[in-house]
Amino acid sequence: MTINNDLLIRLEKLSYLEVQDDKRSEIIEQLNEIVSFVENLSELNTDNVSDTFAMTTASTPLRDDTPACNSHIPEDIIKHAPKSADSFFIVPKIIE
Amino acid sequence: MFEVVIGLEVHVQLNTKTKLFCSCPTSFNHRQNSNTCPTCLALPGALPVLNKAVVEKSVMFGTAVNATVNRTSYFDRKSYFYPDSPSAYQITQLYTPIVEHGALQIDFEDGTHKVIRINRAHIEADAGKNIHEGDVSKVDLNRAGTPLLEIVSEPDMRSSEEVILYLKKLHAIVRYLDISDANMQEGSFRVDVNVSIRPKGDEKLYTRVEIKNINSFRFIQKAIEIEVARQIEAWEDGVYDEEIYQETRLFDQARQETRSMRGKEEAADYRYFPEPDLLKVVVDDAMYATFSKIPELPDEKRKRFVDAYGMNEYNASVITSSLEMAHYFEAMMQEGISAKNATTWLSVELQGRFGGEVNIENSPVNAKTLGTLVKRIEDQTLSGKAAKEVLDYLMEHDEDVDAVIDKLGLKQVSDTGAIEQLVNEILAANPDKVQEYHNGKEKLFGFFVGQVMKASKGSANPQAVNDILKSKLS
Repeated sequence: MTINNDLLIRLEKLSYLEVQDDKRSEIIEQLNEIVSFVENLSELNTDNVSDTFAMTTASTPLRDDTPACNSHIPEDIIKHAPKSADSFFIVPKIIE
Repeated sequence: MFEVVIGLEVHVQLNTKTKLFCSCPTSFNHRQNSNTCPTCLALPGALPVLNKAVVEKSVMFGTAVNATVNRTSYFDRKSYFYPDSPSAYQITQLYTPIVEHGALQIDFEDGTHKVIRINRAHIEADAGKNIHEGDVSKVDLNRAGTPLLEIVSEPDMRSSEEVILYLKKLHAIVRYLDISDANMQEGSFRVDVNVSIRPKGDEKLYTRVEIKNINSFRFIQKAIEIEVARQIEAWEDGVYDEEIYQETRLFDQARQETRSMRGKEEAADYRYFPEPDLLKVVVDDAMYATFSKIPELPDEKRKRFVDAYGMNEYNASVITSSLEMAHYFEAMMQEGISAKNATTWLSVELQGRFGGEVNIENSPVNAKTLGTLVKRIEDQTLSGKAAKEVLDYLMEHDEDVDAVIDKLGLKQVSDTGAIEQLVNEILAANPDKVQEYHNGKEKLFGFFVGQVMKASKGSANPQAVNDILKSKLS
């Protein structure tokens, strides 16, 4: 897989990020390095390994359906949000 | 001629007390963001722990639609970037859902049936809500992480009528199982419709268009009609390939049209992969044995009503279409009345008096009271007409049926002596009419009945009046 300018444009769209023109070639180069690093994994033969293979045979633990709420936690989190008002998180306008 | 091909995706919000992966309450109408925690706000390091009740309700549903319950299923991660999901992904089940290969039977009014196959039902987390205001959007994540069961049908429906029958049956099943409130207006039963057309006789599936944002049965029917018309027009104008492509469209109630949500060049890329924060979901034998015990379903109840009460199929399906109606009906039957009368007085008289906020769940007249009222018709205490007056009164006043009958003076006179006396008086007062009747003008019988009823101020038992008049005039 090679990252080129077209793919970068697509990634910008998917991630709602904008890469400045003077940074594009540098970013493309870095992304290609990341991809080639991950491609090392392809050396491993996984033909006989099922897609659902896990390191453990255990199944996910289940929790009883009993509510528990610590009201100070969300308050604390909202306080640390970049922008909030009236207990809402505030984000730039989303155009539907 | 074209054939319409429709498949449905229904998102059912499971009525658990807590969210899918954390212990936050699922109750709504709470202050914004008060039912949140590090897990549903996706703070780094917070891990999901699966709610057992979600597994239980999913297994119940799978059992109800005769599906395969996968004793091992998996979660997958669907990436998308939007402020209603702080993690920037949704946890769902793409590759191995908990429920697969089910079927649901729909019943037509003429007594015929059709089986709609269910491809799958999978567990996934709901997103939060955005409120757009001025140049910002406000985010409330109380709903984020609420459990959904997404039920996906095969493209087996061929008309909007079949769609509505399928949805009503599915709705009834979900309510009978009590796995969801299934309230369309409140968004706990959300329907996405996949529509395509093809020339009749063609077996191929053409391009499907998904319609979202439809929150009532009536609008679903309308949205399908409008979208089908759009596709047929494109086909007939020779621009099908250009204008109809796989996309999501919104139904606009006000403008009565479907509208594209996003251009095709911006198709989403969800980059699904197995969810690394959760291990496989295993339904062991003990869990399966417990969870697959389900209450009586609409079809079984209907069959039982037909067998036990001698009802016809259609009446039985009207009564069993909602759990609340069925419960009300069975409570009425406790009063020892006929199923036919119970059906009429419940589905015609009582329901005909509902409106606004009043419905079967908060009916001012309870089942025992309505059952007693019907009983009073059957034991000849009341005429049908008088019973309607009593019911009108009971809709406004919470009082005892028999007390109301006395109070309104509607008790029917079945005392034959009293009626006979009235009949004698009427006949004596109309000797000319009696003569005409004997000369063959039999239509006058109705006149005599009317006169006797009038003289009794409507309280005489019409059957007794008929019988006595007949014997007197013969």
